[in-house]
Amino acid sequence: MSDIVLELQNVSRIFGEGDTQVKALDDVSFKIKRGEFVLIVGSSGSGKSTLLNMIGLLDKPTFGKVILDGKETTTLKDGQVSQYRNEKLGFVFQFANLLPDLTVLENVMLPQQIQGISEDIRQNATDLLIKVGLEDQINKRSNKISGGQAQRAAIARGLVNRPTVVLADEPTGNLDSVTAGKVVKLAKTMAKELNQTFIIVTHDKHQFPDVDRIITIKDGKSYEEENTMEITV
Amino acid sequence: MDYRVNLAARMLANKRGSLIGAVLAVSIGILVIHVNFVIFQGIYDAIIRDMTDYRFGDIFVSHEEEATIERSHVVYTNWFERVPLVQSATPRLSGSADIEFRSMGEFHEEYDVPVVGVEPVSDIQASKIHTTISDGQYVYARNSIVVGETVAEDLGGVRVGDNLKLIMTNQGGEENSKRFVVTGISKTAGGQGFDTSVIVHIDTLRSLVDRPNESNSIFVKLNEKNPAAALEIRKQFLAAYANDDLKAQTIEEAAEATLKGFRSGIAMINLIGYFGMGSSAFAIVTIQMMLVNSKTREIGVMRAIGAKRKDILMVFILQGMIIGAIGAGAGTGIGLAYTTYAKETNMQFQGSLALEVNYNWSKIAETALLAFFLAILAAIYPSYRATKLQPVEAMRNV
Repeated sequence: MSDIVLELQNVSRIFGEGDTQVKALDDVSFKIKRGEFVLIVGSSGSGKSTLLNMIGLLDKPTFGKVILDGKETTTLKDGQVSQYRNEKLGFVFQFANLLPDLTVLENVMLPQQIQGISEDIRQNATDLLIKVGLEDQINKRSNKISGGQAQRAAIARGLVNRPTVVLADEPTGNLDSVTAGKVVKLAKTMAKELNQTFIIVTHDKHQFPDVDRIITIKDGKSYEEENTMEITV
Repeated sequence: MDYRVNLAARMLANKRGSLIGAVLAVSIGILVIHVNFVIFQGIYDAIIRDMTDYRFGDIFVSHEEEATIERSHVVYTNWFERVPLVQSATPRLSGSADIEFRSMGEFHEEYDVPVVGVEPVSDIQASKIHTTISDGQYVYARNSIVVGETVAEDLGGVRVGDNLKLIMTNQGGEENSKRFVVTGISKTAGGQGFDTSVIVHIDTLRSLVDRPNESNSIFVKLNEKNPAAALEIRKQFLAAYANDDLKAQTIEEAAEATLKGFRSGIAMINLIGYFGMGSSAFAIVTIQMMLVNSKTREIGVMRAIGAKRKDILMVFILQGMIIGAIGAGAGTGIGLAYTTYAKETNMQFQGSLALEVNYNWSKIAETALLAFFLAILAAIYPSYRATKLQPVEAMRNV
């Protein structure tokens, strides 16, 4: 098994045409190893959300390649991309984005149900919810729990399929500082316990101390922050 | 339970207003069909019922070419009455007469009034025309006459006990007249009886027109409504008297001219009903479009965590199925309740014909299934629109 779980090769994303053309990502390349806890940092409009969409297979690059778990994904068809997202990626969104019509448990079970797994899904989801400290919220409707609890449930949902990479988009952006701290601690604990690769996109790197790497996005380009060296131009 | 079924049901349950609206649309569509059926099919069946009871029976025998049957009716009625399924058979003779009536010094005259000659004893057993006597009693003697209500009114208000004079022309062209005592006034709600005729004893009529032993028709009544048996008995009867040039018709055949127009009308009304049901599909499309628009974020989240387009399609198609199933169930339930009410209360409108209400189970099932499939059909476009949402676009809708 390769140690590299995600590789971006010269990824560019251009929106619009002619004079209105905007280059949201400009020749971005980097590699992420299994088990790394990586921060992607950038100010508003830097291109970090576009980068997240590329990594999350929610959008396709105009140029370049996104290689996830050894497979080049830009040529995959819609159904294959959906399957790949389901199996290889776990998402944690800024607003948790649990489905309000389902209970907390059902939300966490959902990725496995979509994958077609029928065995032990309730137990797996319950185990994860216990790990994130939501054992007493399992059967509550997901819109009846607090923002912090919802974000913890979202982390459990992101992990339930044992994905190659968990992508978190401003996971603490909607939380107060105390709750945000707890969520960060939980994410780190889970990453360590499960040897899980985490990529967190944020505008505030100070909320995530002690990460393995920080990639800064500025004007659509990526920089490795530890040595402030531009890794690809 | 499949997660898509669960999600579809939960989404609908949490949008109760939309669910109720869509279910009502389906239910009302079905109810319109049921109400149409009860009323218009009820009228049609009531007309058949009354024509069977009063004019034609279950089998109506007449001559193939001639106006009258010369051979004595006794031969035929005896044949029919030997068949166990036959309740009774009775002869009838018809003609027309001028009627003169004097009341309170005023002279009233009506021309070409239809006259029906009946054999009182067997007619009471075979037909129900005697039950239409609203005042007085049925024909019981050679000089008694039952007057249809319309004729009674046209003659200036004939009452039981009054005297009438009938003038008829016999087959030799000679005029014969006879005075009668009015014993009853006949009135039927739907006008399928003899409201515009007079009824006399068949032997009296035979004398007046000089046609001894002749009749126009044989009215045959079965023990119970049994169209298959009627067809079989008719077949055997015609075989038994193959050389008599008789024709024997079921009620549908005998009353074809009257019923044909009604059938076209019912088909038209049903068409309007089905258009009504079709319009409920538009309501479902609108409601489901609203539902899809309100669930854009959820669709984006589902797509992001790996749901395929077909999964999204299935969730919203399943919603159409749920709406269709609940709507069809509720609509059929309410429709059946209405049908039962109409049947139990012998529904009629302001003294008109009492509806003949029947449960047509195949039509009930067909309507429910049609509504169910229409709801699914109506869900296809909104579902398709839902699958066209790109996860990135949908996620922006936070």
